[in-house]
Amino acid sequence: MDSARNLLEILGLPTNRVLLNIILPVGISFYTFQSLGYVIDVYRGQSPACSSLLTFATFDAFFPQMVAGPIERGRHLIPQLEQTKAFEPAYLHDGLRLILVGFFKKVFVADNCAILANYVFDPQTPLNGYWAVLGALAFAFQIYGDFSGYTDIARGSAKLFGIDLVVNFRFPYFARNPSDFWGRWHISLSTWFRDYLYIPLGGNRGSKWETVRNLGVTMLLAGLWHGASWIFVLWGAYHGALLILYRVVPALRSLGDEDASSHLRGALAMALMWLFTLVGWAIFRSPNLHQFGAWLMALGHWQTALALPWATSFIWLLIHAAPLIFLQILTWRYRDETNLGRLAWPVRGLIYAVMVMLIVSSTAQDTEFIYFQF
Amino acid sequence: MQMKKWFTSAFLFALLLLGLGELGARLFFAADISGRFDYGYSPDAGFDLRPDGTVHLFRAGGRRFHPQSFPRHRPPGTFRVFVIGDSVPRGPSFKGAYPYLLGTELQRHQIQAEAVNLALPGYGARRCQVVLRKALEFEPSLIILHVNDSNKYEDEREYRRSLEFKSWHPRNWPMKIFIFRRLYEAQVEKVFWRLVPDQIRLKFAANDPDAQLAANPDPQEVQARVRLARETTAENVALAREHHVPLLIISQCRLINDGPEAFHFEDHGLDALGRSLAGDHVYWLSMKEVFSHLPNARSYFSDSGHLKQSGHLLMAQALVQKILQDEQQLGLSALKREGKDGGG
Repeated sequence: MDSARNLLEILGLPTNRVLLNIILPVGISFYTFQSLGYVIDVYRGQSPACSSLLTFATFDAFFPQMVAGPIERGRHLIPQLEQTKAFEPAYLHDGLRLILVGFFKKVFVADNCAILANYVFDPQTPLNGYWAVLGALAFAFQIYGDFSGYTDIARGSAKLFGIDLVVNFRFPYFARNPSDFWGRWHISLSTWFRDYLYIPLGGNRGSKWETVRNLGVTMLLAGLWHGASWIFVLWGAYHGALLILYRVVPALRSLGDEDASSHLRGALAMALMWLFTLVGWAIFRSPNLHQFGAWLMALGHWQTALALPWATSFIWLLIHAAPLIFLQILTWRYRDETNLGRLAWPVRGLIYAVMVMLIVSSTAQDTEFIYFQF
Repeated sequence: MQMKKWFTSAFLFALLLLGLGELGARLFFAADISGRFDYGYSPDAGFDLRPDGTVHLFRAGGRRFHPQSFPRHRPPGTFRVFVIGDSVPRGPSFKGAYPYLLGTELQRHQIQAEAVNLALPGYGARRCQVVLRKALEFEPSLIILHVNDSNKYEDEREYRRSLEFKSWHPRNWPMKIFIFRRLYEAQVEKVFWRLVPDQIRLKFAANDPDAQLAANPDPQEVQARVRLARETTAENVALAREHHVPLLIISQCRLINDGPEAFHFEDHGLDALGRSLAGDHVYWLSMKEVFSHLPNARSYFSDSGHLKQSGHLLMAQALVQKILQDEQQLGLSALKREGKDGGG
């Protein structure tokens, strides 16, 4: 909405909020990208055109994922919609499990971490280094819990109808390098940009500088996809710069090598990437460039007298992030962060019971999904 | 076989764990649960009338009375005093609080007294009224109403919680389950409040009525709560009059430190309220008047409003004086005769 209004203002056109509310569809970014992907696939002959208007309309506006993804491809979703399926209890089991995990991530993890993130990134908050770090950490868990939680709920809802939506997150905070991160975070968007922008631009087939250019352009546009604001341009540019840096600096490249067998090197690579990711989230969460500047400046001030005591808030964050980390460690070996189905049933039962308790008793205010704004 | 198809073992196990948790809580912690979610607005108000004719005090809302019991009917010749109020009359301990000390002081004056401490922490005028209505059923000779002005906010919060808890809305259904509600409140009152600084909690957090109220310091709303608290106190007085039970209002004061040696008292207009309500079997004692003439008054206070045991003793003595001063009107003389007749 805000982006559209800004754009109209730049063009000197009237910006009636009520009218915009009506004409702008929900989840415009996701909806547009999904439709675009379908059109391009059909044009390229990679996917047959859908002959049924009803099936196409269902694909284009499939309710679980229309608002905030995952962005589906026609060749993946349309055949499933065309297929006649009888209901199976397994759909219910898998669907409800995904929905439960999603609610846990959103209600318990994200909404509670949001309390601290909202405080830190409020322009009126006096910050020091401790709070700046705490805020970035809190937002990292908030956005991951919020967005991947939404995706899990969407996938679970679709699964109840026997529809498999694509996996959108795969342990993103365990990534060892930026390329690995984008292969784990918002996978449906990053593969969209890869297939419909980066590769058509030439990908990494040209010279080193052409690859750098292609990466830069792709990430800038990926940043802009989130909204017409300088902060998203900076965020895209930052991630573009990281991708370029890892490609051109051999030491970073070898450290973040996914095939590296050394555990210590792997841990170091993860820690470094996690640090870079945190800075990226600080950019993303800052309402404007000035606020991000204030966040950066705070990292140079570690006097405790400047701000509120932070230690207990850190415990608060830990209480709400630790169960998620535990869940990720538990499912790490299955390469699917929602795949609790392979754990022994008593363990699963215990996890379900604890999740229900934590969701129901969560104290945080109800907050809208972050990606609903895009 | 069919069941296995629809419900997984893990789902059934989770259900079993939750069910066992709830059942265990209800079986083994029944006393703890009892009255837990009344939020102070239960018509029972924490009074348990037993078949043997005794009344036992238990939890009222989330708060516990000091464990006490008394016969349902006032024994002949007994001067039965109920003290209703908040954490100030509740005192640092049962025997260190002025209601208990009042009983012993009255007995020292040869008055067969039964003083019951019905004070609960955080109780303001509205919840005190619920306690008062119940207390009036048990033949009091005198009711002491300790009036404070710092609990109107908590009254409102608990009132909203009680409405929310009773609401039909499906979002409140899980909260009817004890283990969920208890965990929720444990988080709100223990984890939440302690870990996150107030400034953050009040601005960015919680859908609990506490945070909602605190985050909305609308002066008009605050004023309306003050007005409501005062009107309710007046209603409480009228209620006692209606039942022909003498009522003694104690108006709370606050000790304000002006420096290492200097201090003064503030009553927030409660003295004026007490004075205006007094008369026609309603008596009034100003806490400020009890303490303000003492040069070392500060030594009787544990903070700005709460008293140490020495302060409670002083209050008890002041109350005895007041009671003896109005002995005739309070019907003490008649009681003494009643005692003699009843006792043979």
